[in-house]
Amino acid sequence: MKKQIFEGFGEESYVKAVLDNGLEIYIMEKPQYSSSYAIYGTHYGSIDTKFSKNGSEMITVPEGIAHYLEHKLFEGEDGDAFSKYAKTGASANAFTSFDRTCYLFSCSDNFYENLDILLSFVQSPYFTKENVEKEQGIIGQEIRMYDDNPGWRVMFNLLKGMYHNHPVRIDIAGTVESIAQIDADLLYKCYETFYNPANMFICLVGNIDTDKTLKQIESSIIDREPVEITRGEFDEPQTIVKPYVEQRLAVNTPMFCLGFKQKINSPYRRLKSKVCVDLLLQLICGDASPLYARLMNEGLINDDFDSEYFNGNGYAAVIFEGESCDPERVANEIKAEINRLREEGVSKKLFSAVKCAMYGDMVRRFNSVENLTMSLTECAINDYSLFDEIKMVKSVSYDDVMKRFDIFDDENAVLSVIKPLED
Amino acid sequence: MSAKITQLSNGVEGVFIKNDRFNTTSISFNFYVPLSSDTVAEYALLPFVMTTCSAGYPDFSALNFKLAKLYGANLSASAEKVGDYQLLKIAISTIDDRFALDDESLCDSAVEMLTQLIFEPKAENGAFCEDDVQREKRKAIEHIRGDLAQKRVYAKKRLIEEMYKGEAYGLPKCGTEEQVEKITGKSLYAAWQQLLSSAFLRINVISRSMPQGLFDKISQKFDALTRDNIPDCTSSTPTPAVKTPNTVIEKMDVAQGKLCMGFSSELYGDDSKTAALTVMCDIFGGGPYSRLFTNVREKYSLCYYCASSSVKAKGLITVDSGIEKENATKAEKEILNQLDMIKQNLFTDEEFESSIKSITDSFKSYNDSQGLLDAWYSLKIVKDRLLFPEEAAEDILKVTRNDVVYAARGVKLHTVYKLLPNDKEGEN
Repeated sequence: MKKQIFEGFGEESYVKAVLDNGLEIYIMEKPQYSSSYAIYGTHYGSIDTKFSKNGSEMITVPEGIAHYLEHKLFEGEDGDAFSKYAKTGASANAFTSFDRTCYLFSCSDNFYENLDILLSFVQSPYFTKENVEKEQGIIGQEIRMYDDNPGWRVMFNLLKGMYHNHPVRIDIAGTVESIAQIDADLLYKCYETFYNPANMFICLVGNIDTDKTLKQIESSIIDREPVEITRGEFDEPQTIVKPYVEQRLAVNTPMFCLGFKQKINSPYRRLKSKVCVDLLLQLICGDASPLYARLMNEGLINDDFDSEYFNGNGYAAVIFEGESCDPERVANEIKAEINRLREEGVSKKLFSAVKCAMYGDMVRRFNSVENLTMSLTECAINDYSLFDEIKMVKSVSYDDVMKRFDIFDDENAVLSVIKPLED
Repeated sequence: MSAKITQLSNGVEGVFIKNDRFNTTSISFNFYVPLSSDTVAEYALLPFVMTTCSAGYPDFSALNFKLAKLYGANLSASAEKVGDYQLLKIAISTIDDRFALDDESLCDSAVEMLTQLIFEPKAENGAFCEDDVQREKRKAIEHIRGDLAQKRVYAKKRLIEEMYKGEAYGLPKCGTEEQVEKITGKSLYAAWQQLLSSAFLRINVISRSMPQGLFDKISQKFDALTRDNIPDCTSSTPTPAVKTPNTVIEKMDVAQGKLCMGFSSELYGDDSKTAALTVMCDIFGGGPYSRLFTNVREKYSLCYYCASSSVKAKGLITVDSGIEKENATKAEKEILNQLDMIKQNLFTDEEFESSIKSITDSFKSYNDSQGLLDAWYSLKIVKDRLLFPEEAAEDILKVTRNDVVYAARGVKLHTVYKLLPNDKEGEN
């Protein structure tokens, strides 16, 4: 086992340990806290629909299979994981996103017992013809629930408008048709590829003892030969599919997402790019910006307005979203403001204020065992340290941020709108 | 960890929750006023207008710029229903001075800003500025209309409206669109004066150390006002049982239906008296070990989610679930069947123990979150004292199986609300 200690903000520190089989473990002790939070995750999400294991032939699996596997893993040969957690009082859950699947629990008592449950069920798949078929009903209902969720629909309609081939355009849970193709064999194939220790991580924060925890994990992890995973490449053009997408649903106020697809030459964004784009978004439309005040005073946005730098393996875009009586006008105002600021520059006073605010947000993160565990998960996925981000925020310059205007190209903008139903 | 209550003025309490775990200081002003159709919309709008400008910060860009400079101090406003009362919250949270990159007192600045927002609004000739009021009215109306976009929220709101027709508790927490439309700068200013002179107020401070002079300053401000008619917000009227439950069906262009059920409970009141109801409701539909989850969802696949919750002050239990149209009747029957089994003492010891463990485990984690602590000390109002999370956990440990059965037997179906997809052509 290789161990490394990370420090860099006040008295806060954490340990990163890597087992010989490649499993990464992150532990942050918070002895003054009553509770603890744990995540056992894999670098495997909804976009991993094409892959090969150890150089064998590339296979394509049905959309939504990562999420399906997450549901099924809770069910073991000796009962389901929830009933085991019920005996300890922990609160447990799991989620699947584009690039990861995470199993988690939080608790005040019985941490080591809960960790045993987590380590055990994630390593014990039990898929049978019957139990796989039974899940189709519940997941089908979950998919239908998202069909009625305008916030979800407006986002995935945007992604379909931006991406031709990249599977980020597909709903995380797949479709009723795609999940009908899932069977136990396929689930085992995915499990054996992506649930290998070399592709996984464990993040733990709270009232726990590092050495004791590491010993427990080391003795519970089933050694498997590390696998070599090759993820399929998707022939994704730099251009968008179409500039406008519209759907009608039962809403009162229209909802919108305006996305600028970034032209990228490498699959991942670096930490510095992420920090700079986040700062730039605050300068363009954060709540202290002139654009925000104008849109708010003219009745074009409300408190739901937000922006994000959306990026992962092979995709990157800036997204503005909210509710508005006139989404097209909001989109035009945002584009005009970006072009104005690109020419005229941004207020340096505002730049220093938003930097302060971002630093404050990072200090705040250390308050919560849950937020810290989630942040360590980002560190595991993106291979940086928890303290790198805070250092980066302090060190980026005005010029670093101004350079990022390059990512906005009006030709690559897509507007997705949900309008109320017609009478 | 400790919490101490101080009487600051007539009907004004300060609660200092000393906690060394956090890097931030959180201060919240919690105003409680009786729910009434005459005032609900104005009171609900006030926190939002009050946190966007003041005499010292004439527009929200200036205010937001100052908040950013204070390392992203978090200023928030909300309006909630708590039993028969409206809780209006204005809160600020700032990182501790020791993390500031230069020598400034962030906490002092935050206190200064908060007291200014509350006591020195931007107003002229007895009226709030019309532009600010119109902007916040427009946002409030969009917010009210926005409920339709979230079908789960919408269905629960409709259930409560149907259950409490003509009663204060049936009012939407921010009023109706029509009530918001009628608000003027003048009427809002009058509501602000009324709020300061007659609301019960609890100020929660969660920090390593008490911000110097804060409570003295607040005492002086309120001692200078004539304060009367302060409500006793420790008790609400219970939900009466009905002989024949009412069913309401609404149809809409949706893919999935919602089934919400409201029950009256004979056991009601503050948390110090209702531990058995908490456990009963948790066994019924709390966690993944509950009867609704393991049976209605897992065993019979009748819904994607099915959970219960309670408003103990009102003696109200609600169940909400996402269903396919063809399962609506079966799901309703099965939910009632599960309640019946608790009434007949037909739940297992494991289910009982799981609930006790889950509830006490979560109470113990309250001290790890400023947000949860603030919510705890603003929602759990017990007469003349503080109720601590540890104490509530002790109360839960004392609950017996018999207490649960007794609590369940007082639970009666009151109203069923179904939101169903429109009939397809050719369907009845």
